[in-house]
Amino acid sequence: MEEKPFKASLGSHGSDKSSPDNDIRNLWTRATLSQPKLNVPRSSVGENSDMEGGGIGRKSRRWYNQKAGRDSDGGWEEWDDGEDKGSFKQEDLNESSLLELELRRASSLGSRLGEDVDSVTDTEMSSSESSLSISKHTPHRAYWMEQQNRLPLPLMELMENEALEILTKALRSAAPLLGRPCSCSLP
Amino acid sequence: MSATMKLKQGSFLWYLYLDKLYCLLSVRNVKALLEYFHLLDVHHNNTLNDVLFYHFLHHVTSWNRTQIMIVFNMLDWNAMGEIGFDQFYMLVCILLAQQNHLEEQFIFRHSRPVFELLDLDGELRIGAENFHMYNFLFNIKKQDLRELYHDFDITGDRRLNYKEFKLFTIFTMDKYQERQKAEKDKDKGKKDLLKKKRLHHVNVSLKQFLGINVSESRL
Repeated sequence: MEEKPFKASLGSHGSDKSSPDNDIRNLWTRATLSQPKLNVPRSSVGENSDMEGGGIGRKSRRWYNQKAGRDSDGGWEEWDDGEDKGSFKQEDLNESSLLELELRRASSLGSRLGEDVDSVTDTEMSSSESSLSISKHTPHRAYWMEQQNRLPLPLMELMENEALEILTKALRSAAPLLGRPCSCSLP
Repeated sequence: MSATMKLKQGSFLWYLYLDKLYCLLSVRNVKALLEYFHLLDVHHNNTLNDVLFYHFLHHVTSWNRTQIMIVFNMLDWNAMGEIGFDQFYMLVCILLAQQNHLEEQFIFRHSRPVFELLDLDGELRIGAENFHMYNFLFNIKKQDLRELYHDFDITGDRRLNYKEFKLFTIFTMDKYQERQKAEKDKDKGKKDLLKKKRLHHVNVSLKQFLGINVSESRL
């Protein structure tokens, strides 16, 4: 059952991207080898950890600051600016080549999984363990850092829905009084 | 005025919790609360005006309008007509303390800020009428209030200064801990009784069939 998800992810995600984004986006797509149930939107790609290197770390930190500072709603779009892509490539070739090596190792382990179904138990355990240990240090670091810096989505949804209800009621009660000289603003 | 406030089940505040020892929110909870505050702050002033404040409390608590306005006036200590995040955080802690029956602990741990909140006039003394007005916040019963002023008004001016108030918080905290202990002992006593009954039943049935006594240690 684990074969289909990772094959599909390799197939569907790996081919679409142009080369400047390939290194970083592939980190996320090939990450599904070890955690096939991981569903991360494409727009979340690129938030590599500070540990990997100054360049990527600085960019991701800048993105986080933009998002946290709520300067604009286009936090995602700002990252997608072409300027950033170019500077990523120049600064982080060494980092990305190291990551590529590790990922190729992980993918070869993963492909062995796909080919030999019968000897799955021992190979699977060792390969999943090694791929887990590799993946912990590479692409998923970005994912975990993002998780640590952001609130969980279900909680955000709950908060937003509740705030919307409260604000709607407030508007309904205050709307008749808008434009009048202020005497009492409460219902 | 109903004494016991209940948070709306399933609301955002309902999912938060206080640290039971210090009666404060964790950093993670504060971060979430700040995000929530910013969602409500539609004017981007880092404050909530009286309309927003009223509708927020009306939505998440069972307080009526009078109680909500009393709380608003209490928290609006700068008389700006708006509540900032500091006051909002204080309010949420009070709400959670009430929800989780930690009022005594909360007053004990944060006696100074609570005293300053109750001291509306800034005279460094709290009169009985002030206390009575806010008893729905900390779930203080009338009888307890009478005892409070009778036992702790050492200066005899029918008002409590901070030291007298602090003594009161220590006393209520002791009472609370004794109550907890008594409840624990009661539960333990019930469990021991249940154990003895079971042992007795087992003894009786075994006697009937085999004529054997089962000791407590085996069970």
